[in-house]
Amino acid sequence: MNDRLSFYRKKNSPIHTLNPFTKLTLTLALIVIGIVGGGYWTASLAVCLAIAPLTIFSKLFGDYLRVAFRLILPTAGFMFVMQSIFIPGGVTELFRIGPFSIEVETVQRSYLIASRIFLMVSAFAFLLLTTHPSELMTDLTRRGLPPQFSYVLISTLQIIPQMQAKAQTIISAQRSRGLDTESSFMKRIGLLVPLVGPLVFGSLVEVEERAIAIEARGFTSTRVKTFLHDIPDTHMDKIIRWALLALIIVALASKIWLS
Amino acid sequence: MKIEISNLQFSYPDGVQALRGISLIIETGEQVAIIGQNGAGKTTLVKHLNGLLQPTSGSVHIGEWDTRKHSVAKLARRVGYVFQNPDDQLFSKNVGTEVAFGPKNLGFNGDQVQALVKDALALTELSDKTETNPYDLSPTWRKMVALASIISMDTDIVIFDEPTTGQDAANIARIANVIKALRERGKTVITITHDIDFCAENFERVIAMAQGQILLDGRANDVLGQEEILATTYVDPPQLTRLGKRLGFKETVRNEEEFLAALRG
Repeated sequence: MNDRLSFYRKKNSPIHTLNPFTKLTLTLALIVIGIVGGGYWTASLAVCLAIAPLTIFSKLFGDYLRVAFRLILPTAGFMFVMQSIFIPGGVTELFRIGPFSIEVETVQRSYLIASRIFLMVSAFAFLLLTTHPSELMTDLTRRGLPPQFSYVLISTLQIIPQMQAKAQTIISAQRSRGLDTESSFMKRIGLLVPLVGPLVFGSLVEVEERAIAIEARGFTSTRVKTFLHDIPDTHMDKIIRWALLALIIVALASKIWLS
Repeated sequence: MKIEISNLQFSYPDGVQALRGISLIIETGEQVAIIGQNGAGKTTLVKHLNGLLQPTSGSVHIGEWDTRKHSVAKLARRVGYVFQNPDDQLFSKNVGTEVAFGPKNLGFNGDQVQALVKDALALTELSDKTETNPYDLSPTWRKMVALASIISMDTDIVIFDEPTTGQDAANIARIANVIKALRERGKTVITITHDIDFCAENFERVIAMAQGQILLDGRANDVLGQEEILATTYVDPPQLTRLGKRLGFKETVRNEEEFLAALRG
């Protein structure tokens, strides 16, 4: 259940063994280059020529396609259609739908925006598919990210499945007391109190217990902390990161000076 | 109300086979304790009695009702189920309305609800706490509120899932009193427990489960005497039973009275 909540898929691939920070840098590089790298098709090409091969390389192409078709394509597609219809300022009319005129220029601009969004979400999907969130957060914390920040993120991912399980138990307990959860919609609204009440009370108690438990283990201690899991950071990782940084700088520089 | 379980099998959606063919008859008014290691299928079994789980194969009948043909809300008229953690069910602003929730759901009229609530509160020694918010009570008293909120439904069958976990001696005695009172009223009581002394002192019939099957089922003395078989499901017989055995008593003893009687020979 826990793993269903994060996108992460465990596979045995060279990408999976990269340091999480390297993958984060790669993700950001893809986004920066795809967006500022000039060229109308850059973002689209980045998806086809970088992200798609990377997911194949990670043995996660199928999972990526699933995310792309179920989540990214509908979102980006919806934006593309809406903007094509509603952004004003086009000159060359392509065709009309009722009172709306669709122009070539707006379609082009909409495609550019939609393809960039597609790229951004794809890049993060790649990161989340190949990197376990807690590994990423541990690595970032070691690099100086405040632990409170990573705690909030990680605990959210952990709490949700726990709350789902708890909600299920509460529903069972109240149904055992004759609560009819299969009645009409209006009746069901009245049922919320007996279901949500225990969930909220219980969660508040748990938050307090959690806070005490982590404080008992020195969460706010200012001493330098060690980490239970060693996350490898190889020379290769460093080389890749510097290379990516160079690419980002080149892309930004060319944007500033060449345009 | 007779409970009839025949060749009940149940697998969870993830494929774990939790019950592997259980056949069982519990007669009206019996007091049954179910014991066995964690994961033996005790809770899975009792969740079939009020329809929270449906058999993968086999059947469960409560009286003439087949649990597959009636909703949980309807089965609640016949089977009351006290969950392990009272905090999973308490939501009202005071004990009185909390305890009235079940009988109201079952459709009792105003006077009946009042009478049932009053009786349940008296039985659980909560009469002086009617106006208290359940979350202002200690966990032991919250447990009693949970008990009262099921007893007030006046079902013929009452199930307790580990009622004594985390309870002090005074409250365990209160819970034992409640079970005794229910027996006197002719109710069927089924209790899941890891508390072997509580089991030995309050139940006439004991069922030991392991790996989704019934290992032993019979009179408490007969079941609790089977030290070797119970060990396979990580249950130790009560201390007095083991001591009696080492003293060479012919009969299996399970409480102080029986122990003393055997000792005096």
